[in-house]
Amino acid sequence: MPIALPLLAALIWSLLPLLWQLLTSLRTPEALVLQGPAAWLQGWTLANYRQVLQGDPPFWRYLFNSCLVGAASTGLTLLLAIPAAYGLQRQRPALRGGISLLLLAAAMFPYVLLFLALLELARALGWGNQLLALALPYAGLSLPLAVLLLRAAFADLPAELEDAARLEGLNLWQRLHRVLLPLLAPAVASTAILVFLFSWNEYPIALTWISRNDMLTLPVAMARIAGSSVYAVPYGAFAAATVLGGLPLLALVLVFQRQIVSGLTQGAVKG
Amino acid sequence: MTLLLLLPALALVLGVFLWPLLRYGWLSLQASSVLTGLVPMPNGGANWQRLLADARFWQDAAQTLRFAGLSLALELLLGLGLALLLHRPLPRRGLVRALVLLPWALPTTVMALGWRWILNDPFGPLNGLLQSLGLPAYGFLSQPASTWLFTVLADVWKTTPFVALLLLAGLQAIPSELEEALRLEGAGPWQRLRRLTLPLLAPYLLLTALFRLAQALGVFDLIQVLTGGGPASSTESLALYAYLNAMRFLDFGYAATLMLGMFALVLGLSALVLLTQALRRRLAEVTP
Amino acid sequence: MTTAGLHCEQLSRRVGDRLLLDGLNLSVAPGESLALLGPSGCGKTTTLRLLAGLDPVSGGRIRLDGQDVTHSPAGERQVAMVFQSYALYPHLSVLANLELGLEVRRVPAPERRQRIAEVLALLQLEGLERRRPAQLSGGQRQRVALARALLRQPRLMLLDEPMSNLDAQLRDQLRPELRALLHRAGHPVIHVTHDQQEAMGLADRIAVLESGVLQQVGTPQELYHRPANLFVARFLGRPGINLLAGEAGVQLGIRPEQLRLVESGGLPARLLRREWQGSQQLLWLDTSRGELLLLAEASLSPGEQLQVSWRPEDELRFSSASGERLA
Repeated sequence: MPIALPLLAALIWSLLPLLWQLLTSLRTPEALVLQGPAAWLQGWTLANYRQVLQGDPPFWRYLFNSCLVGAASTGLTLLLAIPAAYGLQRQRPALRGGISLLLLAAAMFPYVLLFLALLELARALGWGNQLLALALPYAGLSLPLAVLLLRAAFADLPAELEDAARLEGLNLWQRLHRVLLPLLAPAVASTAILVFLFSWNEYPIALTWISRNDMLTLPVAMARIAGSSVYAVPYGAFAAATVLGGLPLLALVLVFQRQIVSGLTQGAVKG
Repeated sequence: MTLLLLLPALALVLGVFLWPLLRYGWLSLQASSVLTGLVPMPNGGANWQRLLADARFWQDAAQTLRFAGLSLALELLLGLGLALLLHRPLPRRGLVRALVLLPWALPTTVMALGWRWILNDPFGPLNGLLQSLGLPAYGFLSQPASTWLFTVLADVWKTTPFVALLLLAGLQAIPSELEEALRLEGAGPWQRLRRLTLPLLAPYLLLTALFRLAQALGVFDLIQVLTGGGPASSTESLALYAYLNAMRFLDFGYAATLMLGMFALVLGLSALVLLTQALRRRLAEVTP
Repeated sequence: MTTAGLHCEQLSRRVGDRLLLDGLNLSVAPGESLALLGPSGCGKTTTLRLLAGLDPVSGGRIRLDGQDVTHSPAGERQVAMVFQSYALYPHLSVLANLELGLEVRRVPAPERRQRIAEVLALLQLEGLERRRPAQLSGGQRQRVALARALLRQPRLMLLDEPMSNLDAQLRDQLRPELRALLHRAGHPVIHVTHDQQEAMGLADRIAVLESGVLQQVGTPQELYHRPANLFVARFLGRPGINLLAGEAGVQLGIRPEQLRLVESGGLPARLLRREWQGSQQLLWLDTSRGELLLLAEASLSPGEQLQVSWRPEDELRFSSASGERLA
């Protein structure tokens, strides 16, 4: 029983601000400024959701943009990280340790520092307002952690499995595809989700690379909605946008919590 | 041969991480602003001289340190508590972990706006609470002296679950036999925590602290959306100042200099943390 | 010199400045089974990995059926190996485990099915085709690993501690079966073990390795009765050989079962302690020439004064300086 109380407190601490957003999204602007218990009896509405979904561009457009960027970044990251992790695991311990340490430092690096030079690159290459081009910096930023996580997963596989496959004549691609990757599926899933979460939430690069209204990713769109003035934000509509933008993540976290936790955990253990 | 497999990934990582730093090194020695039409022109060390004399830079550096220090302390403390809580056998463990993790998974900008509403003066729920207690409404986001505390609050709310999960990994790596052995010797929960859990958790605490320190020193999304650096620049972080120099004042040369200044700060503080840890370990070895 | 079978000459493996295997010369004929025996770290697993092509050779040559395979990739040597952990692919059924290698070597489907059916019958694995490795017993896993190795149609069969993951009873039961099966299959077999009982039970000849150097190769009987040096003499036989001081520069070795208790005329000895071992007792004796171990059926109590003796022809004589056995 003594555990129930702090647990409840932790859950309230985590969820109350979110629940408040949900509540706010269902209220009329007038009801939001009313005081007292009587205010709870009236002013419930779905108008905020209607407004957000019928905006220009409609809200689902941002969700779609973020999904697209997330999928492309995740795909590109895995494509590069899986062979790199395998290659890293096969290096001499000294070299492997050195590269791993550099990757760890990069994974910890506050990447916001990099946006200006990346913006210059994007301008020089004409990548501004190209959603898919975002996948390149996102993959570059995600790779250090992804390679470290997958390297640790490769290291956990018994070496004899790959030896057995080599003796049977499987080439590198066949060994990866037929033997190693099926066994790494959980680690690949964890890594994929962490990369997807990162690119879904990324802000400074998307903010500086994308300016066209219909190309914005979710975090930038949300910030732009509120960007005009601190005092004149349409909070009800905004809360509705928060809820809509948060729902996919809620689903993702509930479905994949095991993978997310094991991904973070592996990162901590092997890092 | 296996090194070839590493190359594409390493090339992209170097391109994204190393290239900007090299570029900043060069750009920080150029005048590249609206005045030059954003065409870089060498200006000696003028940017660096300006940085050293820039009161706003030093103020922002102090504010960033203040923010990072308090956030880090609170997150480690609360995160450790939460990790110890989640480490115990729980009903519906998966669901509980998912719910606790939710604040971390949501985009920072989204929840920064949520907090802006919660802290709204006078209509936000927090002021609603104050008023229903008979207290006057408080301008959470308009007090130069105290607003930074609420940026810390929002950061702690979002990041504690992440810290807790990293530490939870450390707790789960401690064999339960060790704790049981200590319990048989009659050690109470506090002694077990202090004598066994914390020392064995130390590497995880260190790694988590380093990671969070670097991230907190680079705080940007949260500040930009929650306060915009205000009121009166009292919550402005170095990253935000650099961003403003680049995107609003269009002074790329100085922005690059600021980025490098910030990089030096992150590097120096991380090195300091590592050094004190190494020193403490060395001291523990010499003293019986 | 015949060309069939395995021949390796001066085989060496060096990692950094550590010499893991130093100039190994070894030949194994088709149908012959050789055990590589030695303590852990002696180089026996290194040898196996070199022969399989899993690690690069630092010096020397490997020839298989007359063909030089020293630098051939593992997959092209037609060498099969049963790993210590069996290394069955955990995500694949027994059938898929057996089929994967045939598939990548582009064996046509009908032939695949036929060969798998044969090997399943040979190893009595019928009915387990759909199981995953995790759903098999230790003995079944070993047989699947063996089946996979046999399907390779190897020119050389390697076994790495094939019995170490089985319990003692199962080991005793499987050893003769495995030996018969490997003899029938007819390829040269090398198996690595640190267990002398397993080596003697499975192998026609035993090669003893120590610190990367081959000490002696021979039949189990040769190694036991005519060990090349002190190391081999001490490594084989349980309870271990007795060592006593002989004339100057000579050490004598006598196996415990070759010592006997006599009424008179032997070396005086006092019984220190004893250990009951079922049919016999193991006795520790204190004598003027050192402590001796002996096996006896008599019932004795500690402190008793006894006399021991042995036949001079059972004495093994070693040089104290080099450890080599003297003629």
